[in-house]
Amino acid sequence: MITVSHLSKIFHNPDGSNVQVLKDVNCEISPGEVISIIGPSGTGKSTLLRALNLLDPPTGGSILFNGENILEKNYPVHKMRQKMGMVFQNFNLFDHLTVLENVIFAPCKIHKENIEKAREEGLALLRKVGMAEKADVYPSNLSGGQKQRVAIARCLAMKPEVILFDEPTSALDPTMVGEVLSVIRQLAKEGMTMLIVTHEMKFARDVSTRIFYMQDGIIYEDGTPQQIFEAPVRSATKAFVQRIRKEVFQIEGKDFDYLDMESRIRQFCIKYNIADRCDMALQATNLMLKDIMAAYIPITVRITFSELSGETFMDFMVEGLETSPLQANNPSMDKLRAFCSEIIEEPTSRGFRIKLRIG
Amino acid sequence: MKRLVYFIVSTLLLVSCGKKTQTIELNSPDDLAGHSVATIAGCAYEKDLSSRTDINCQLYNSSSDLLQALLSGQTEIAMYDEVVYNAIIRKEYGIKIAMLGDQSFPTAFLFRKDDSELVRTFNAVQRRMIEDGTMQKLIDFWLTDKFAEAESYTHIPAETSGEPLRVATVLSTAPISFMVDGEWYGIEIDLIRELAKELHRPLEIKLYDNASGFMAVQSGQADILCGIVFVTPERQEKFLFSEPYHSYHTAYFVLDHDAESQDHGFIAGIKKGINKTLFVENRWRLIVDGLLKTLKISIVAILLGSLLGVGLYSMANSRRKWLRSCAKVYRSFISGIPELVLLLVMFYVVFANTGVSPDIVAIITFALFFASGASHIYKASLDAIPCGQTEAGLALGFTKSQSFFKIVLPQAFRIGLPLYKGQCISLLKGTSIVGYIAIQDITRAGDIIRSRTFDAIVPLLFVTILYFLLVWLIGALIKLASPKKNVL
Repeated sequence: MITVSHLSKIFHNPDGSNVQVLKDVNCEISPGEVISIIGPSGTGKSTLLRALNLLDPPTGGSILFNGENILEKNYPVHKMRQKMGMVFQNFNLFDHLTVLENVIFAPCKIHKENIEKAREEGLALLRKVGMAEKADVYPSNLSGGQKQRVAIARCLAMKPEVILFDEPTSALDPTMVGEVLSVIRQLAKEGMTMLIVTHEMKFARDVSTRIFYMQDGIIYEDGTPQQIFEAPVRSATKAFVQRIRKEVFQIEGKDFDYLDMESRIRQFCIKYNIADRCDMALQATNLMLKDIMAAYIPITVRITFSELSGETFMDFMVEGLETSPLQANNPSMDKLRAFCSEIIEEPTSRGFRIKLRIG
Repeated sequence: MKRLVYFIVSTLLLVSCGKKTQTIELNSPDDLAGHSVATIAGCAYEKDLSSRTDINCQLYNSSSDLLQALLSGQTEIAMYDEVVYNAIIRKEYGIKIAMLGDQSFPTAFLFRKDDSELVRTFNAVQRRMIEDGTMQKLIDFWLTDKFAEAESYTHIPAETSGEPLRVATVLSTAPISFMVDGEWYGIEIDLIRELAKELHRPLEIKLYDNASGFMAVQSGQADILCGIVFVTPERQEKFLFSEPYHSYHTAYFVLDHDAESQDHGFIAGIKKGINKTLFVENRWRLIVDGLLKTLKISIVAILLGSLLGVGLYSMANSRRKWLRSCAKVYRSFISGIPELVLLLVMFYVVFANTGVSPDIVAIITFALFFASGASHIYKASLDAIPCGQTEAGLALGFTKSQSFFKIVLPQAFRIGLPLYKGQCISLLKGTSIVGYIAIQDITRAGDIIRSRTFDAIVPLLFVTILYFLLVWLIGALIKLASPKKNVL
C-alpha cells in the first residue's frame, strides 16, 4: 500500500543551521497492518508521519502510495490526503463548528455529499466513538479525550484507507488516555490500516501487528511486538524497551512537603497505568516515613516502574547507614508485610537501601 | 432605542447649563483690560487683540462660533465686523454694540498672485457697476436698513456649462455671503455673479474656514476668496486684490442683559430651534445632503482602505525585507500624523492644482488611515488561528486555498470583526473634519445652519443624533456583510 525508500528530511533553521531528522527510512506497509512507531524523543517518529502525507515534504527519497509516486511534480496531493487520514496530538478540531459539523464538514465540502445523508453517517461515526450525545456541542466544551475521539470520527468520515496517528494520547490528561486507546483498539480489530506514533508501550504491544523502533533518523529495528519487546536484536532497542520509569524525592528535613510528594506519586501511577497500585505505594510511603524510618531523615525515596515487566518498586535510601534500620519487633512491619510481597534490605556504596515490591 | 433615549437626555443635560451676569460697559480700548475678548482666527485685526497681554484673547473659526461663544458666555466680548453683527442684532439676540472699533478696513476680493487677468476683468466689471449706479443699489439693499429676510433675494441666472469659477467664501453670514435653501446670496456673492456673467462661466461656491480659505486660493483649489477680506500689506505680498468695494468697521459686541429677555422656556426654545434648523428655508436638505456625503465618504473609504489593508498586510508579512521595511515606514508615518493634518496636506499640497475633487481627496486620505489599522486587524485575527487548523484541513484533503478560505478565514473573521467594526466607526466619526477642505458633510451642514439661525443647541443635537444613527447603520451593514452562522 505504502512503499517508502531512502526517505530523508532536513529542517533548515532560521539561524542557517540544518538538522537532518530523517536519514534513510525504508519500509513497506501492507493493508490491514497496525504499526506502532516507538523510540526516544527527537528521533523523527512524528516527522516520518508528517512526511508520509506531505505536511512536511521530505527532502529526498520516494514514497509510493498505491503504486503512485506522490512526490512527483503536480501530483494531486489533496486527493492522496483524502485517502490517508491523520489524527493529531493537539486534536486540531475546528473550534467554530459543532462536533457533528466537524465530522461532516470535509465530506460535505470535498465530496459534495448530501447534508442529510452526511448527518446520518456522521452520527453513526460519533456513536462508534461514543460521542453521539455531544453532537451539537462545540469543541471548547469537551474534555481532551472527547476531543480526540471526535477527531478520530472526523478522520473516519472521509473513509480513509490508512490513518496516521501522531501521538494521539500525548496531550491528554492520564485519566483520559484509556478512552482514546480503546477507540483505536476497536479500529484495529476492524482491520483498519494504521500507523501510530506512541509512547504507550503496553498499548503498542497489545494492539500492533508490527513495531518500528526508530532512532537516529532511521527505522532501527522492525519486527513483531514479540520480537521487539521480548527479544530485541539490537542493544539500543533493548535498552529502550527495558527502560525503567522513576520519580525521586529528597526528604531533607521535617518541613518536607509530603502532600506534594503524595500527589506526584499518584500522578506517576496514573501516567504509567498502574493506578491500582497507587494506594499501596502511598500506604507504604506513609508507614516507612512516619513510623518505621522516622528517625532516619534525611532520606531519598524513589518509585520505579518497568514498562516491559510491569514491576513496581519503592526504594528508601539513607546515606552513611551500615546496618538495616528495620526492626522485626516493630508492629508496623506486620502491616507493611501485608501488602509488600517482597522486602529487600541491601547495603549500597553510599549507605543502606530498603526496597519494597509494590503489587 | 433605549440607548438612543439615554443619549439624547444626557446630551440635553450637557447643553442646558447657562449663567447670567451684568452688561459690560466699554468706552475706550483700555476698558477691555481684564475681560475675555474673542474674534476670528486669521482675520486682519486678530493681531491687535492677541498682542495685548492684559486681555484674555480667544480665537474662533467662524462668525457663528464667535456668536455662540458670546451667547453661551464663553467669552464676554466679541470683536467683529459691525455690518455683519448689525444684521444679527436686527434679529434680536440680546446683543448690543458696546463700542465701535477705532479702525475701518478697505475690503476687496482676493486672487492668486499669477491671476492678474482675472483681477483686471473683475476691476473692470466693478468700475462699470459703480458708474452705472448698480453698486450703490447693492450697497443700499444689503448694507442699510432696506435689507430684509428671504423672499426678496434675487440674483442673476448663471451659466450652467463651461469651466466653473471657483469661489471660496470664509463667511456664511448675512448680508455678505450666506446660504438660503441651498443657494448663496449676499453683497459679495452678487458682485461675483456679475463677474461670472461677464466671463460666461458658471459659479461654484464653497465655504471654507478663515485660515484654510487663503490656502485654497494659494494652492489653486479656488480662484477667488471672499467674505469680508480686508486688504492688508501682508496679504498683498502673497496675493492679488481687486479694488476695494467698501470699508467695514469693526465693533465690540457684548450681551445686553438689560434688554427684554427672549426666553420662552427650554421646551419652547427647542421647538422653535427644531423648526428653524429643519424647516425654514428647507434646511433639512442640507442635512440630508450632508448625511449622504458623510456616508459616501465613509463607505468608499472603508472599502478602499480594506483592500489597501490586504496589500499592506501582505507587504508587512512578506519574505522580502524591503517590502517589510516599506510597510513599517508607512505604518509609522500614518500612526504619527493626525488625520486633519494629513487631510490638509493631501488637499493643499499633494493634490493642489490637479482638479481632483475634495471628496476623492477625503476618501483617499481616510482610506490610507484605514489601511494601516485594517492590516493590523488582519494580522491579529489571522495570527490568532493556530496553524494546526490549516494542517487539519490539509490532512482531511482540502487544498491550501480551501483550507484558508473555508477553515481559517471564517474563524479569523469572528475574532477580527469587533475590531474591524470599531475601526469603521472611528473612521466614520473621523470624517467630521472634512469640512476643512470645504466638503459639506453633516458636521459642516450643521455649521452652515448654525451660521444662519445662530442657535447652537438644536443643530448640534441633530448632528450628534445623526452620527449616532450612522454608527448604528455601519454596525448593521457590517453585520449584514459578515458570514452566516450556517457553514454547511
